[in-house]
Amino acid sequence: MSDLGMTEADAVGHEDPYPERFLPHEGDQDDKAEKRKLGFAFWLCTAWLVAVIGLAIFAPYLAIKSPNVNFVQPGERPPYSPSGEHWFGTDQDARDMFSRTIYGARTSLTVGFSAIAFGLLVGGTLGLLAGYFRGKIDQIISFGFLSLLSFPALILAILITSLLERSLLTIAITIGILSVAPVGRVSRATTISFADREFVLAARSLGARHPRIIVRELLPNVLIPMGAFSLLGVAIAIVAEGSLAFLGLSVEKGPTWGKIILTASQSSRDLENAPYMAFFPIGVLFLTVLALNFAGDRLRSFFDVRELSL
Amino acid sequence: MNEHESFHHPGPSRTETDSPLLALDNLKTHFRTERGLVRAVDGVTLTLNRGEALGVVGESGSGKTVLSRSLMGLLPGSAVTSGSVKFAGQEILDLPMKQRRHLWGAEMSMVFQNPLNSLNPLMKIGKQIAEPLRLHLSMDKANARETAVALLKSVRIPEPERRLNQYPHELSGGMRQRVMIAMALACGPTVLFADEPTTALDVTVQAQILEVIGEQRRDRNMSVVLVTHDLGVVAGHTDQIAVMYSGKLVERAPTKTLFAEMRMPYTKSLLKSIPKLADPSHTRLATITGRPPDLVNPPKGCNFAQRCPYARPKCHVEEPALEPTADPNHVFACWYPVGSPEFTEREAELEAAGYVPATVAGVS
Amino acid sequence: MKFWVSRLVGAFALILTVSAITFGAMNILGDPLFNILGPTAGDVSNPESVAKIEAAEAQFNLDKPLPVRWALWLGDFVTGDFGVQFSATGQPPVSDLIAERLPRSLMLLVMAQTMAVIISVPWAIWSAAKANSAVDRTSTVMTFLLIGMPTFALGIILKYGLSIRFDWFPATFVANDPFWTRAWQMFLPALTLALPSAAVYQRLLRTDLITTLQEDFILTARSKGVSKRNVLFKHALRPSLFSFITIAGVTTGTLIGGALVVEQIFRIPGLGSAIVEAILREDFPVVLAIVMIVTITFVVLNVLIDILYSIIDPRVRAS
Ligand SMILES: Nc1ncnc2c1ncn2[C@@H]1O[C@H](COP(=O)(O)OP(=O)(O)O)[C@@H](O)[C@H]1O
Ligand SMILES: [Mg+2]
Repeated sequence: MSDLGMTEADAVGHEDPYPERFLPHEGDQDDKAEKRKLGFAFWLCTAWLVAVIGLAIFAPYLAIKSPNVNFVQPGERPPYSPSGEHWFGTDQDARDMFSRTIYGARTSLTVGFSAIAFGLLVGGTLGLLAGYFRGKIDQIISFGFLSLLSFPALILAILITSLLERSLLTIAITIGILSVAPVGRVSRATTISFADREFVLAARSLGARHPRIIVRELLPNVLIPMGAFSLLGVAIAIVAEGSLAFLGLSVEKGPTWGKIILTASQSSRDLENAPYMAFFPIGVLFLTVLALNFAGDRLRSFFDVRELSL
Repeated sequence: MNEHESFHHPGPSRTETDSPLLALDNLKTHFRTERGLVRAVDGVTLTLNRGEALGVVGESGSGKTVLSRSLMGLLPGSAVTSGSVKFAGQEILDLPMKQRRHLWGAEMSMVFQNPLNSLNPLMKIGKQIAEPLRLHLSMDKANARETAVALLKSVRIPEPERRLNQYPHELSGGMRQRVMIAMALACGPTVLFADEPTTALDVTVQAQILEVIGEQRRDRNMSVVLVTHDLGVVAGHTDQIAVMYSGKLVERAPTKTLFAEMRMPYTKSLLKSIPKLADPSHTRLATITGRPPDLVNPPKGCNFAQRCPYARPKCHVEEPALEPTADPNHVFACWYPVGSPEFTEREAELEAAGYVPATVAGVS
Repeated sequence: MKFWVSRLVGAFALILTVSAITFGAMNILGDPLFNILGPTAGDVSNPESVAKIEAAEAQFNLDKPLPVRWALWLGDFVTGDFGVQFSATGQPPVSDLIAERLPRSLMLLVMAQTMAVIISVPWAIWSAAKANSAVDRTSTVMTFLLIGMPTFALGIILKYGLSIRFDWFPATFVANDPFWTRAWQMFLPALTLALPSAAVYQRLLRTDLITTLQEDFILTARSKGVSKRNVLFKHALRPSLFSFITIAGVTTGTLIGGALVVEQIFRIPGLGSAIVEAILREDFPVVLAIVMIVTITFVVLNVLIDILYSIIDPRVRAS
């Protein structure tokens, strides 16, 4: 105690004249410790995502109302407020909003995941090649990414969707094309960070051929952080579908999150009288996007992926 | 200096000359960290008179920087200080930050190690020098500009007018350090803290910078605290030297006395680590084995014992206190100091065993 | 000097490329003649419609090879003549349509960016000054929520909350109202665009400010006795602005996309609705003109950002 030589009374706490700067060792360790844990919130987000995805996949086999049936109640004009019968209420055509939200999830999530799958396939591969070979190949691919990025994304999407028939596949690929450049740049950066690690150099010195090194040594290492990153991409793709829907350019058949939110909010009177029509699907969409963002963020810092935003 | 008399600082008045300018008593600065309390400065007692130059030496991590910043009050929020720091007789350690700030740049200023990063890269030199002038002395623009030119001239910067409109990146490292010094001196402070002011500079430039600091000290009757890991730097430029090890003062003496009869084995190894001009430029300096102790859990006894070739069992158990020698101005903390029978005995043993006295690495 | 020359050449190359790709894609993938004449376009048995087809081909240069058509279009475009709409009448000329719609979209974007900056800069400074405090942590959560929020969802929420539930702001745009009334009507749409950008800017600027605050020269400024506040504003802010400016430029692209959606939600007849309508009608000259305007804006902005850099940083100016 005495060698501490300090009592509460004479210890002077300092106002902070400048942030901690001397030696940030402690801070570093702190960061790493935080990175090693995913945390409770991460698992909460995962649980939500599993629930939404599960409902979307198994919707036809569950006791969920059909999204296209008009549940008109005699003597009352739809939309109907939320009730035990219709948890999220109904829309103007008396269709059950809860089941429309779930069926909307089917399309929206399919679009989101397939778009990023496309982005990973094309952008990821290109980035991998650019990062591994460097030189001319890298220059060409990187310039391609840059050109893609210099186009306002939504304009590009509008151009493509307007020229083609708007099937689920077209929409997914369109959004996928938009994700090629960002995904590709992250993949390139990640590859570069691995390309001169010992195990790659060792494989090289053992005379392994390029394809073998790329597939056996680099791919597994690049794939994990890319997976984390692509969760953020899925969130963005889902939002992109919604934006296209608001421009009247989303998937033509069936409900999507974007389309049902648009229908619910198109007229100010509907929004005033039946806000639940818009806000339930918005809530579900928002929570899903947040969960994807958060989970992706945690995973990304868990795997320490270079900061490169979409 | 007359012009400065009329300005209101909450700090001490300049007429008070009987008390020492700076008096620290059992000063401690501890940092709260995840690992526990880091005792960066652990009970330092010192005095510094007006116009005097004090050298603070010690190897890297011994707490020199924290000590000088504690005296200024420039500490991060995790720092807890205790003890006493009297500036011209007035306790300043518990002064609220708002009042303390008025001392900075006015009564006490600081020159830092790395002139490359210590100047704002996006602000013209002139403006940076004018800043404290306008702040503390309420000068107008023209006046501040004129003073800035005079200041630049006084630290021997050629073409001072032109410099005012230049940015730091347009100047050499030595020039930037001169600018730093001019800036620190702008309001005529009574004490200047120079924290490794020459470490980042070329050898030839180092000498010039130390020369400028010394010149200014004499011209202004200003006190200087020169912090360095290099005993060679302080040798010709200080009146008094304080040697620090793991946050503690281990030896203090007037400069001449210290070099003539240093008592701490640690001081001795520091001295050995000064590169000699005669050495070929890449001579490697031998380093003592081991590292400075953990400041969170300091060892029992003398902190240096683990690395001291002269240590005996007592050193590992009991901590030596600072004891004066015949000269009351020369104090040291060691059970078996240089010159003691035990020391001489061990030295003979070591020499017989072919031991080359090692030095402490003096890297900041 | 060399830098600026190569910068300008690059900018022109990008504009030309975009115009060529857009022009090519629309003419190859679409059917311009059909869009002008409707079903008549396919009717070659009837001499009357053949005459019509020939007239239209001549009028719209459709009889010439693609590169020539592109060159002709480009020549007109440079002089401010964006051609005629692909419709039976071709009226009003595309330039007139753009002249009517562009100012609204521009106003929306300018208002949105201004709001985003006004919101984010003080917010970031506040957060950075109180790094890791409760204020700062709350801000981080808020930015996270805002960044995750889709533009259309935020638009609906703001419209419902601030305009329908509480009648504080107008929710509709009336083209003939006086300027300031229209600006007021644009408040909510601009806010919808501004909030997520503000969140992005806040995060970025906060991080950069905190990094700058750990620089040595900040300590120097403190040691001169500069107050904490002035250290922030006079020393730390300017060196922290670089990535902020870059991102502000880049997000203008995102903002343009968002503006399309916002124009739909708040029914502002701007470029956004013009391009959507034009695309649905496959009215290519309009689409082309708008794509070009957007691209040029984007490119010009990027050049402006470089100029701004060199103003802020003397080191850039020197090199
Ligand atoms: N903000 C801080 N938090 C925790 N420990 C610190 C902090 N600043 C300095 N220290 C510790 O204080 C000790 C002394 O550091 P310093 O004064 O910079 O040494 P020197 O200047 O003598 O090289 C070091 O061990 C360092 O780790
Ligand atoms: Mg130091």
